[in-house]
Amino acid sequence: MKALCWEGINDVRVQDVPDPQLLNDQDMILKVGLSTVCGSDLHLLTGHIPFMQAGDVIGHEFMGEVVEVGPGVTKHRPGDRVVVCSFIACGRCWYCRNELYSLCDNTNTNPGITQHLWGSDPGGVFGYSHAMGGFRGSHAEYVRVPFADHTAIAIPEAVDDMSALFTSDSAATGWMGADLGGVKQGDVVAVWGAGAVGQMAARAAQLLGAERVLIIDRFEYRLAQARSVFGVETINYAETSVGDTLLEATGGRGPDVCIEAVGCEAHSTGPQYVYDQVKSKLKLEMDRPIAVREAIYNCRKGGSVFVLGVFTGLVDKFPLGALMNKGLTVRGAQQHGQRYIPMLLDRIASGELVTDHLATHVMPLSEGARGYELFKKKEDDCVRSVFRL
Amino acid sequence: MNTAGKALLAAGVATAVTVVRRRRRAPDDQPDGRWLVVTVNRAPADVQASLPEDLTRWKDEVELRITPASGDKGTELRAKPVGGTSAHDVRLALRRAKSVLEAGEVVRPDTAPTHPGPMGKVLQLVTSRAAGGGRL
Repeated sequence: MKALCWEGINDVRVQDVPDPQLLNDQDMILKVGLSTVCGSDLHLLTGHIPFMQAGDVIGHEFMGEVVEVGPGVTKHRPGDRVVVCSFIACGRCWYCRNELYSLCDNTNTNPGITQHLWGSDPGGVFGYSHAMGGFRGSHAEYVRVPFADHTAIAIPEAVDDMSALFTSDSAATGWMGADLGGVKQGDVVAVWGAGAVGQMAARAAQLLGAERVLIIDRFEYRLAQARSVFGVETINYAETSVGDTLLEATGGRGPDVCIEAVGCEAHSTGPQYVYDQVKSKLKLEMDRPIAVREAIYNCRKGGSVFVLGVFTGLVDKFPLGALMNKGLTVRGAQQHGQRYIPMLLDRIASGELVTDHLATHVMPLSEGARGYELFKKKEDDCVRSVFRL
Repeated sequence: MNTAGKALLAAGVATAVTVVRRRRRAPDDQPDGRWLVVTVNRAPADVQASLPEDLTRWKDEVELRITPASGDKGTELRAKPVGGTSAHDVRLALRRAKSVLEAGEVVRPDTAPTHPGPMGKVLQLVTSRAAGGGRL
């Protein structure tokens, strides 16, 4: 079958790879319908996450049709239309039972790597390096889905393929940021990053009762999309002081909840960005936590900061003093998608949540390399490239 | 080679050196009498009644202990090599036992790429040991 493979740094190509097989009783094989790029893929492309092998199939946000199930699969049958959570979950360990699905104890086949890096291993992810299990990704005609009863969710008839696609990761991740960030009725919420995850976090904050939602980015076309689709307020940090604008919007308090949806290769303006660029180039820090610093600095006293962006390791100039002295709650997580996807599909069906506008560039898999190029360079107002299989 | 490539190369070499060092230091693979432990999200009686072959096959070479975990977290399943069994193999067996007891099976990794390249081969050296490595 055809699949989009990581072949080296900034080198992805469509290749012929062997068809996936059922390897476990609880596996199923999915014929992929739609699969989208994600900002976190760019960390693989740039070599920021050095646990890839040439020929690894990438992609982790997808939906499709079930074509084969193992004897241990009870919820899905061939012909079913499903969306698949990017994190694979066994559904029965303590973490899964407590709806912390991305922390599943039984799905990372290489736990030793991340246990050394982070102290414990999170669950496995499709197409996201051998540190996260080494599972093949979804930019392919077919993909094996382990623990299918717990990893795949049936799509209601009222939800179209493209809308369902984004519940696989970006909508679930965004919702989690607002939910676990503790957004309440009347809150002012600031979201760093107006990509798919940031927009979904902003919409989630609105639906959870936030009175004002402000979203921050430097790409005007993304801010314009967030304004027009969700009616949120926007801040272009290349043109305006984020801190001053947030103070003015909150009566001098700062946002109640700050959600970071940027990740480890953040951009900024001014000397701080130069500092982080130099430090990361010299490998004196692993990630550039610019948006996290801003979120902590600008959050109101006693407020909450949620880190949604992907980070890999150690950072410099972390504002621990602000965190402690302002009494902040800081949380982060990879997405616990199984907890949110059914609810998100219902909200899409009811019209409360719109996601399909994120698919700005839909193309066949054969144009996968171009899709990543558009997405990486933010060309042609690209928010997400989506591959139709 | 660009900066990221050099970093990847450095990371690969570092991990390869770590693996080789660990293999050379065979005694280091012994946990010095320390228990290796996983928490299984099942009741102690269930764990006692269903211990997988992965763990029981060693008989006298590995000491086992089953105790309730704190709170609602299930059962602490401890294993200590007292014969020649390596800590790596015991960690691997504990993880496999936990997965079988909780999820009914051990998830298998997908097949490796056909052309991993030099850095991929270094990474394969690491992943070949990763299932039994790490911290328990």
